Amino acid sequence: MLLTTTVGSFPKPDYLVKARNLFSRKKIGEEELKELERKATQEVIKLQEEIGLDILVHGEMERGDMVTFFAERLEGFGISGLVRSYGNRYYKKPIAKGEIKRTRPITLQMFQYAQSLTEKPVKGMLTGPYTMCDWSFDEHFPTRRDLVLNLAEVVHQEALDLDQAGAKYIQIDEPAISTRPAEIDLAIEAMRMVTDGLKAKTISHICYGDFTTIYPKILNLAVDQLDLEFANNDFANLEIFKNPRFTKEIAVGVLDVHSHIIEKKEKVKENIKKALEVFPLEKVYIDPDCGLKTRTPEEAEAKLKVMVSAVKEVKEEMGLN
Amino acid sequence: MLKTTVVGNYPKITEDKSAPNLRSALNRFDQGRISGEELEKVYQETIKRVIREQEDAGVDLITDGQIRWDDLVTPFARNIDGLEIGGLIRFFDNNVYYRRPVVKSKLAFKDYSTVEEFGFLKQNSTKKIKAVIVGPFTFAKLSKDEYYNDIDKLILDLAEILKKEAQKLEEVGAEFIQIDEPSLCFSPEKIDLANQAIKIVTDGLKAKTFLYLYFGGIKNLIPKLFDFQVNEIGIDVVSKPENLNLILDSSFDKELILGCLDARNTKLEDEEELLKLFERITQKFSSERIYISPSCGLEFLPHEAALAKLKRMVQSVKKFNLSGND
Repeated sequence: MLLTTTVGSFPKPDYLVKARNLFSRKKIGEEELKELERKATQEVIKLQEEIGLDILVHGEMERGDMVTFFAERLEGFGISGLVRSYGNRYYKKPIAKGEIKRTRPITLQMFQYAQSLTEKPVKGMLTGPYTMCDWSFDEHFPTRRDLVLNLAEVVHQEALDLDQAGAKYIQIDEPAISTRPAEIDLAIEAMRMVTDGLKAKTISHICYGDFTTIYPKILNLAVDQLDLEFANNDFANLEIFKNPRFTKEIAVGVLDVHSHIIEKKEKVKENIKKALEVFPLEKVYIDPDCGLKTRTPEEAEAKLKVMVSAVKEVKEEMGLN
Repeated sequence: MLKTTVVGNYPKITEDKSAPNLRSALNRFDQGRISGEELEKVYQETIKRVIREQEDAGVDLITDGQIRWDDLVTPFARNIDGLEIGGLIRFFDNNVYYRRPVVKSKLAFKDYSTVEEFGFLKQNSTKKIKAVIVGPFTFAKLSKDEYYNDIDKLILDLAEILKKEAQKLEEVGAEFIQIDEPSLCFSPEKIDLANQAIKIVTDGLKAKTFLYLYFGGIKNLIPKLFDFQVNEIGIDVVSKPENLNLILDSSFDKELILGCLDARNTKLEDEEELLKLFERITQKFSSERIYISPSCGLEFLPHEAALAKLKRMVQSVKKFNLSGND
């Protein structure tokens, strides 16, 4: 009850940022980079155990952009030149150029490595087909639906591999869902294909959008748990989920990942209690709003410690321990 | 004769290693490795490149590519009293972000936002040039209001502030002023208010004024859209293909900019398809009334694809005009 977790990414240590840079300029080899990714993953697992989180993530040390990472490893995708996302930040956007095929598992090895380092469950982390489509250029498919359903098939194969490797939780992120409410049926159809037949508990993380436009329809998304942001809107979103009643498990975001400010424990406790007035206790998980990769390692650690300690105190006050 | 124009922004960097590199200049400036003057020089060289690329491609009516803009609202938000510049949030259904202005007190004009950069465009171009400003309706919709509690009042105050910007642009020589109102597509119920706001901005202007709507549909904006106090209306017929039929089935006397090339996908339009599209358009409207443009600003594309779109647009329009379809 009130298990704690995180959304997926952790800040990359300086040595890894440098190594990724050198690798992209072909100054170091792939093996050298992978070695450092494993080292950083070990540190992230250890950090999460020390902080006392219940469900761990591998930290995504091997990933840059959450869509481009997969596109670079799938047949049928090309990668565009640089496109600006904000300020002076640029990324390379995938281009669908033909039928999308998976030639080998993409996330399995890193999942198995991370899980081998801990007794606690580590989540398998995937990007959903709808978001992959929405954040790519498409030069091949006649309609968006064709591309989304092709991607759903591919993500399903990856999810099956993680399931068979023993992942207890598989998270399939769909942050783009909330930006195009008109296409929610397509996103739902695709997710049904992705999670079909999985034994693992399935989760989907959705963020930075207007939930009033997709609720309650989003409850039809074929996952056991939705992972949503609340801290960055000061829990105003809670109102939306009061009526009709929320039926799935929910991971409640209690840390604003885009703020340098470390949350006050009392405030986090208060917010958890507010959430418990809307969601039934046995269905609530507690985590940050989104991935932590944009924070410094110090900020990420400090924020998570506040979160875990707030949850512990709430549980004590409720006589749950 | 069909004419061509662009909607506004353009990629700030290119893969061409010999071109001025604004991305690396900004990084070096942040690290204190180059001075503000050196950075300014790179800005100016970049803008000159963008002007030259549009001119070389043969675009009839160009912009400066909004190279100094981080997004559609921040350049203006900086120069309005009563606003704070807030956190990052997704810009419509694009995987890019803008900084959300937060309205903290009554808004007031502080300074001009785009007048100086328009002067630079004027000095450095040989073609017709267009100034672009954000519309008051869209600005308000993209903001977080913590003061007015009344979006109508907020929009009308913004309109008065943007009116000053438009007047000054005209004073320094802008003959074409475009007002971007993408948000109107998504809040058609507020069309009367938007109309009132645009009237405030354009009242008394002698410059030719454009209202550009992109990203969305215009179904619920017709026919009132044609009453807006502007000379031309820009419509994105790519994001919502039904927009084309809606326009072709309407009667009105304004001029049009039609966004016919997809500025949000790298796939290059087929020339034959474009010619057919122009044919359909000119069967209904005199080509003298029409500008062809990309569906929105080209900055959602990598540079190479953006430039290819510009060239394809101009070449297909030239071919169409030459074929005597006029």
